[in-house]
Amino acid sequence: MKLFRRGRVLQATFGCNPNSSSLGVDVTFLLFGSICASMIALFLGALLRGEQK
Amino acid sequence: MKVARARAEQFGGIVELSRPRALLHVDRQMMRELGYPESPLWQQPEGPLSAPTEVHLVLSRRCAAGCRGCYVDATPQGAALSREEACRILDELAAMGVFHVALGGGEALELDHLFAVAEHARAVGITPNLTTSGLGLDERTAERCKVFGQINVSVDGVGDAYRAARGFDGFPHAERALRLLRAVKREVGINCVVSRSSFEGIGEVARLVRRLNLNELELLRFKPVGRGARLDEELTPEQAKRLWPMARRLVFRHRIRVKLDCSFAPMVFWHKPSARAAAFFGVQGCVAGDVLAAVQPEGQFTGCSFLSSGEDSFRLREKWPTAFAAIRGYVRTAPEPCASCEYLHLCRGGCRAVSRAHGALLDPDPGCPRVQEHRARRPLPVLAQ
Repeated sequence: MKLFRRGRVLQATFGCNPNSSSLGVDVTFLLFGSICASMIALFLGALLRGEQK
Repeated sequence: MKVARARAEQFGGIVELSRPRALLHVDRQMMRELGYPESPLWQQPEGPLSAPTEVHLVLSRRCAAGCRGCYVDATPQGAALSREEACRILDELAAMGVFHVALGGGEALELDHLFAVAEHARAVGITPNLTTSGLGLDERTAERCKVFGQINVSVDGVGDAYRAARGFDGFPHAERALRLLRAVKREVGINCVVSRSSFEGIGEVARLVRRLNLNELELLRFKPVGRGARLDEELTPEQAKRLWPMARRLVFRHRIRVKLDCSFAPMVFWHKPSARAAAFFGVQGCVAGDVLAAVQPEGQFTGCSFLSSGEDSFRLREKWPTAFAAIRGYVRTAPEPCASCEYLHLCRGGCRAVSRAHGALLDPDPGCPRVQEHRARRPLPVLAQ
């Protein structure tokens, strides 16, 4: 039996970087660690699929 | 949630959302679920992105302000891309699938064709963003700035601290520009260069972000390039270690969004944050020639706007797959102490521009606390009798 694996969000960067000299990365979410990252990945994945439907 | 567009990559693809504004890296299965066709890239081995997600268009080296640390060494008569050249480059970037451009210089607002270039970017599906000093910005110009995605005004200190950092009293102009821009759009923030002498005043800048209800504070590392090469303004080892705790404090105390530029990666990773969270939120070191590229006012494209040697911008698509081999290969060839660092894949050795300014492009970043500790432990050479 072949198991169906759902697609995943691997990385998320929010907003746009206006700085024309280097890449600005939002570190706010980094403060909340890997559990926050996993939850946001699941949430965004579900929203993406919802958008597709 | 609204998907604006997507492009395939070796790992799957990159999906751009217009609401909330975000770029999502998704795996192949998610691309299939979203209805995108199989891509030949999915059969290829791991490598750099098929195109940068973001390109910095340094529209000119022209600016009347004369800031003492200007990294592009801008002057009132500096070189500039013409409207036709800039639009042709944007066409090339759109064909590659680039999502964002950051327009800057020099002072981009001094160029008559800035808004025509921004509108052309929108027309070809690229989000234009802008960095400006805000000098001379009036209500009419602020209204026209709605065409941009995010606009950040450069503010390296509040009041006298601005004058100390930039060499002229521009703070009232910058604050007025922020108010005018904020009156017409939400995506307005501050770019603040963190140097040895401005470090202690960053809290005041964060307070300003809160007071004016701006959407972000972006902290940029001072780099000893351009006119900045003559200044002794790089962070002290103690400041480098305090940077990440300070950024955390600003987030919680002022309840603002704080961004750090890619060159601060070693200062963040020295504190050993969650590597998984850092990878997920795209917190990484030198992404020049991979996530990021720059176009210089003289027409060549470079890994980032601090790196000077590059290729012809009008052949960006053709040159991209094989360009920047040395920078892209840093993770494979890194010397100690980067080679044994658990964050090497994320940090990528810190900032190449700073390393080059200190001697060699492929040396570890000398501002990294781990590198500084490693060098302090190294035995001194024995002098011949």
